[in-house]
Amino acid sequence: MQATLSPNLRVKCIIVSAAAALAGSVALATPAKQVPWLPEAAAYRLTLHYGNLAPVPWEAIAEAWSEPYRGAEFPDGAFDRIAENSALSTEAVAAAIAAEDRHALFGAATRLLASRIGEELARAIAASSPSAAQAAVSEAQELYRAFGDHVQAADPEAARELGLAWLELTSAAGSSGVLGAGAVALDDARMKAAGKVIRDYLAANYLTSEFDRRAKLSAVPETVAAGGTATDIPATLPPGSDIFDQDPLPRLVLNFEEQGIDEKDLPMVAYGDMLFDSPEIFGEPARSVGIACSSCHNRSDINQRFFIPGVSHQPGAVDVDGAFFNPMFNDRRADSLDIPSLRGLRFTGPYGRDGRFASLREFSRNVIVNEFGGAEPTPFMLDALVAYLFEFDFLPNAMVTPEGALTEVASDAAHRGEAIFNRPMAGLDDKSCASCHIPSANFLDGRAHDIGSAEPGYDGARAGAFDTPTLLGTAYTAPYFHDGALPTLASVVDWFDETKSLELSDQERSDLTAYLEAVGAADDPYEGFGERNTPFRLAFEELTTFASTLDTLLPARDRQHTLLLTDTVAADLAADAGTMSNQSARPEIYSLARLLVDVGEAVRADDWTAAEAHWTTFKAEAEKIEERVY
Amino acid sequence: MKAQLTRRTLLTTGVGSLLATHPLPALTQASPLRLAFIPQENPDKLLGDIEAISGWLSQELGVPVEGFVTIDHAAAVEALRNGDADISFMGALPFVLAEAEIGAVPLLSEVYRGKPYYTGRIFVRRDSGITSLADLEGRDIAFADPISESGYLYPLAEFKRAGLIAGIDEAEAFFGRIFFAGGYQQAMQAMAQGLVAAAGASQYADLLLTPQQQPQVTWIAESPEIPSHVVIARPGLDADLRARFVETMLRLNEPVHRAKLQYLYGPDGYVPADPEAFEAVRDMAREAGLLS
Repeated sequence: MQATLSPNLRVKCIIVSAAAALAGSVALATPAKQVPWLPEAAAYRLTLHYGNLAPVPWEAIAEAWSEPYRGAEFPDGAFDRIAENSALSTEAVAAAIAAEDRHALFGAATRLLASRIGEELARAIAASSPSAAQAAVSEAQELYRAFGDHVQAADPEAARELGLAWLELTSAAGSSGVLGAGAVALDDARMKAAGKVIRDYLAANYLTSEFDRRAKLSAVPETVAAGGTATDIPATLPPGSDIFDQDPLPRLVLNFEEQGIDEKDLPMVAYGDMLFDSPEIFGEPARSVGIACSSCHNRSDINQRFFIPGVSHQPGAVDVDGAFFNPMFNDRRADSLDIPSLRGLRFTGPYGRDGRFASLREFSRNVIVNEFGGAEPTPFMLDALVAYLFEFDFLPNAMVTPEGALTEVASDAAHRGEAIFNRPMAGLDDKSCASCHIPSANFLDGRAHDIGSAEPGYDGARAGAFDTPTLLGTAYTAPYFHDGALPTLASVVDWFDETKSLELSDQERSDLTAYLEAVGAADDPYEGFGERNTPFRLAFEELTTFASTLDTLLPARDRQHTLLLTDTVAADLAADAGTMSNQSARPEIYSLARLLVDVGEAVRADDWTAAEAHWTTFKAEAEKIEERVY
Repeated sequence: MKAQLTRRTLLTTGVGSLLATHPLPALTQASPLRLAFIPQENPDKLLGDIEAISGWLSQELGVPVEGFVTIDHAAAVEALRNGDADISFMGALPFVLAEAEIGAVPLLSEVYRGKPYYTGRIFVRRDSGITSLADLEGRDIAFADPISESGYLYPLAEFKRAGLIAGIDEAEAFFGRIFFAGGYQQAMQAMAQGLVAAAGASQYADLLLTPQQQPQVTWIAESPEIPSHVVIARPGLDADLRARFVETMLRLNEPVHRAKLQYLYGPDGYVPADPEAFEAVRDMAREAGLLS
């Protein structure tokens, strides 16, 4: 299977194995793309993930084995692939799922995966040609990936032996050469010896007839788990997750910036900006997997692609009080919500979909501490975060006046829609759409209403009222409603027409939709990039702006907030360097990041003079490489 | 990878559905243009990609375009030789061998990061204390594959250039162990995880590591330029069709069509191939005993 590789085929398409365990403990807001998983390995990892949620989503587990995971490159699910390629039975796994027996499922799934690896190893050793042997070794290695990072964390010595055994196997499998030239025969004895190392380990740890009952499911080897040694398993996202930034990147409109004020002159705002991008303020697993406020609220807007299995019911949605992020805060209800935009946040209170927080400060604390399990933030952190959040402005829109009226730029249809929007209707108790979405108040009324968009949680319950959302910028925030049930603005109009018996004609629905689209539009909704104005350039400017708060923090000898900043920014700066267009300048970025690490280390050693010296060097170096940063 | 690949596992045609909705007069008088693809990773994905790109090419060229997956380079070249395929896609080394064997003609070179070439590098961990190729004497090294230009032949040639080995056959004696890890990423991970002291791989291969690992590695030697993968034709392909194919493929560089490059192994674009650019590859192949 190993053809000569395109220079960066895999760089462009497939990046990064599950090697997070090797990488130290610094959290990054720079997510890493995952190599596509083989269906069986994906099903196993999803089983571990779902099996650790409470309540366990059994339907999702069944689907994990029967269907391809979200975004998979393979058309078949795990069961189908095993049926096609393997002599192994999947009955034990299916039976455990049907019985909703978590422990039995763990044992059956673990044995099945280990057996598949053994099966491929046997195929490799029995292969008559290097290409067949390599294909089988590659398959076995990709299946082993489902165990690999947990072996690394729990039994590093064995992980090293196994790593060398895999290297030995791939080397001993030989090569078919190219066009009959350069062939290397497979080395049967070496393959058998290396295969035995792996098979013995699997037999002792993943093929046992009985596993100890585990409070938290993981692929930690049984000899370690049964020994009672606590293992710090690296937090990872399950296959099918996507926490990358939305593409195209939403434009960020900051009030001070539009007035020509430099963020570097607003240290509290800049520090809040850093916190908004820092996974360090959250607890595990959000911190380690690189989730920050900006992961969901991308550039103050939304992230339509955000998805984590068992956490998101659809892309762009998240259940922040489920079992995944903070089990203590788990409300045991599958109530994943559509991610709301934060544009114009200082006008859109109260906060939360149901408006449960009058104070943005309290809301932010709840997000950090309860939803994402972070440590109690300091008053300064909350003040800084709120100071930054209050700078989020709505997108400029030439079709709407500041008072909320359409301008002449808007279409005739939109103007006709505007009249409908302001017209009292019997189905709305003789109110109009504008009664709640008040045009002169940013299309808000600051109240929560039950419009019948949610099912009651129990018989007789008052189903729930939701905060009136603004209509500004909504052309870019689909889907709509608290649960993202409606895909388009037209479908929102249809929903109101039908559920409220508005009796709108086709023309009126069309005009009302045109109005919503005009109000929800923007002159320039996305960031524009060019040859040198690259996403890395943007990230660099942001990160160096964050760092500029050291001008305030270091003289104040503020150890806690300095370290939070250096830990966040140094790691992200280095990690983002891989995205540079100008790869030749990458080492200079690493040097800059190192200087921030040095600042942090000096502060930890209580050497403030050295910290200030490193910071001074950082500023000088950053200025020197200015033109090469893209 | 258990999709059973035979010499012609799948024949996809981009013209069938097209005919129903977009009648193209030229179709009735043209024989199909056949593209042979060699899988680099997931063959299932490749099948979908082929269907998409052959459909577009068919529409643009006005002739039926068929794409199929071959089991390896040898099968693709054999298909070019006997007329089962008109066009194929391969690396510089297989191309020079195919050129010698059947007179294959280079048409287009892939462009990555603005260039139709790349390099191979020797990577080490920054904390390893290794700063020169000489430091690797007696140490273990992982390469991608024994027939990989940037993942073996070119990086290894740097040791010869540095005067550390006289030829490939001395490599075993110079290093502790030589491993072939199966790909760039596997070789780089073996190095990053400390299983080996160094890795030989494409210049971009460190981007295959995690964002946390990338700053932890560096490179200590870089090869001369290696021509990128190339789109080749069988020698007897009709000159007019060949020219129109090249012209059409170059349109993939236009912003409106650029997304389709993902169906063709994902380059950033194409430029017309320069046959002279492969001279160093021919020399390398001769030295490695792959070309007489």
